[in-house]
Amino acid sequence: MPHRLLCVDPDDVTRSETVERLGTELADLDLTVDSCVTLRDAERALRSETVAVITEYDLPDGSGLDLVRAARDVCPDAGCILYTDTDPDTIDTTDLRGSLTEYVGKDSLFGRDRLTKLVRTTVETRSQASYPVPQTEGDRLAALRSYDLDREGLQASLDRLTDLAATHFDVEIASINIIEEHSQEYLACYGATAEWDPTDREDSICTFTILEDDGVLVVEDVTEDPRFDSRSETLIGMGIRSYMGASLVAESGLALGSLCVYDEQPRSFSSADEDYL
Amino acid sequence: MSDASGGEYAFAEGVPIEPVPPGTTLLVAGPGLSRAEDLARTMVTDGTERDDGMLFISTNMTAKKLLAACRRGQPSLRTQHLGIIDCSGQDLSRPNDEVDVKYVSTQSDLTGIGMKFSALYESLYQTVPDGRVRTGLISLSSLLMYVDLRKLFRFAQTLSGRIDSADGLGVFAIDPSTHDTQTVNTLGQVADGRIEVRETDGDADGELRVRGIRDQPDGWQPFTLP
Repeated sequence: MPHRLLCVDPDDVTRSETVERLGTELADLDLTVDSCVTLRDAERALRSETVAVITEYDLPDGSGLDLVRAARDVCPDAGCILYTDTDPDTIDTTDLRGSLTEYVGKDSLFGRDRLTKLVRTTVETRSQASYPVPQTEGDRLAALRSYDLDREGLQASLDRLTDLAATHFDVEIASINIIEEHSQEYLACYGATAEWDPTDREDSICTFTILEDDGVLVVEDVTEDPRFDSRSETLIGMGIRSYMGASLVAESGLALGSLCVYDEQPRSFSSADEDYL
Repeated sequence: MSDASGGEYAFAEGVPIEPVPPGTTLLVAGPGLSRAEDLARTMVTDGTERDDGMLFISTNMTAKKLLAACRRGQPSLRTQHLGIIDCSGQDLSRPNDEVDVKYVSTQSDLTGIGMKFSALYESLYQTVPDGRVRTGLISLSSLLMYVDLRKLFRFAQTLSGRIDSADGLGVFAIDPSTHDTQTVNTLGQVADGRIEVRETDGDADGELRVRGIRDQPDGWQPFTLP
């Protein structure tokens, strides 16, 4: 997936300099740099593949914080950086408590250098994501993309696995998912999962499954697990109150996704259940 | 202080942690009765020996009390290289004119804390040799009383990312006895390594064990704080 940066600044000179500098110094990251003057244009320029937003605070038709709020809906994993000479002590962050933004002072001595380094770290490590990412994420995504998921016969095999899992654990829904860079995609579905749209990675349980040392994650009740209680309303709406998932692992040992069973009631799973999955 | 080469961050003799590379964030995990928070604070103020910048995000201690605690452990503390984000919400009087203090009225305002942290970090980065800054977040446990885990994870990861990009040192304190395993393990993901702390019956102030960082002493080691 191509990655995009969005630079927003009403000042033509500053905006051009920033775009040129980031494009040059971050050329190895293969980024497309978009630039805008107004909040309205910037909101329209946001894409799911936007990985970083660098914005001035004062915009002609709003504030940079308005843009940060908008970015959280379109590209929830994107890093947001306020690049401004507005004193942070004068910025009201009251309405932005659900979102985060970095701050780099334009008038600081090393502001330009620091901005470039910070953008690089933000993009490479996804430092503003709300979920942990494996240290081998780059290799993991490369391994995932090496697989031909449209291969003839694969779908039938995956469907068979979800059928078996659902029957064995006596559940209404089961799925096989892959964890893409920013989303969870469903490869095989049993039951209502067939109607599910791809899930933002920040709302995915399986994004935590692929981090488990033993490859299996059990969530007995999403409302009582601190990793998911803030998302429990959405999960329960999908019929997910409890969950067990086992990582799908490539020959290299990298986890690509998971085989999961879900229950609409709180449920515990035994060690034998985990081994079976 | 142990010998540091190649820009590594070193600690006082009484703290058995070998120097760590620039850009490292460490989670200091110990129960309330252990000296975990004192250790975390010392790991930051140890920077005064090398003229490092020192920046605290203080959640449960006012800037005044924090400065007093720092001075008790480090009489030669260079306050002109010290910055504090006071999130305690208790006292807005400045400890002195040399220390740069910013206030955030509530610990739930992670955006405000983060932005003021960034601004203070930039300020210290410009004034200290080689831009070396040590950051202490004391504590994650206190912040968890105000925000949910996922918001705090994002906040801590953003801080860790800035520290990494600036070749700084991060020291984040947590009391694992007040949280479940999922919480501690999730927050542990933002750090490069963990310093586990426990009480001891001996003469030492406590014992620590280093996990996840190379070339460190093995097993529990006694530590002594100044």
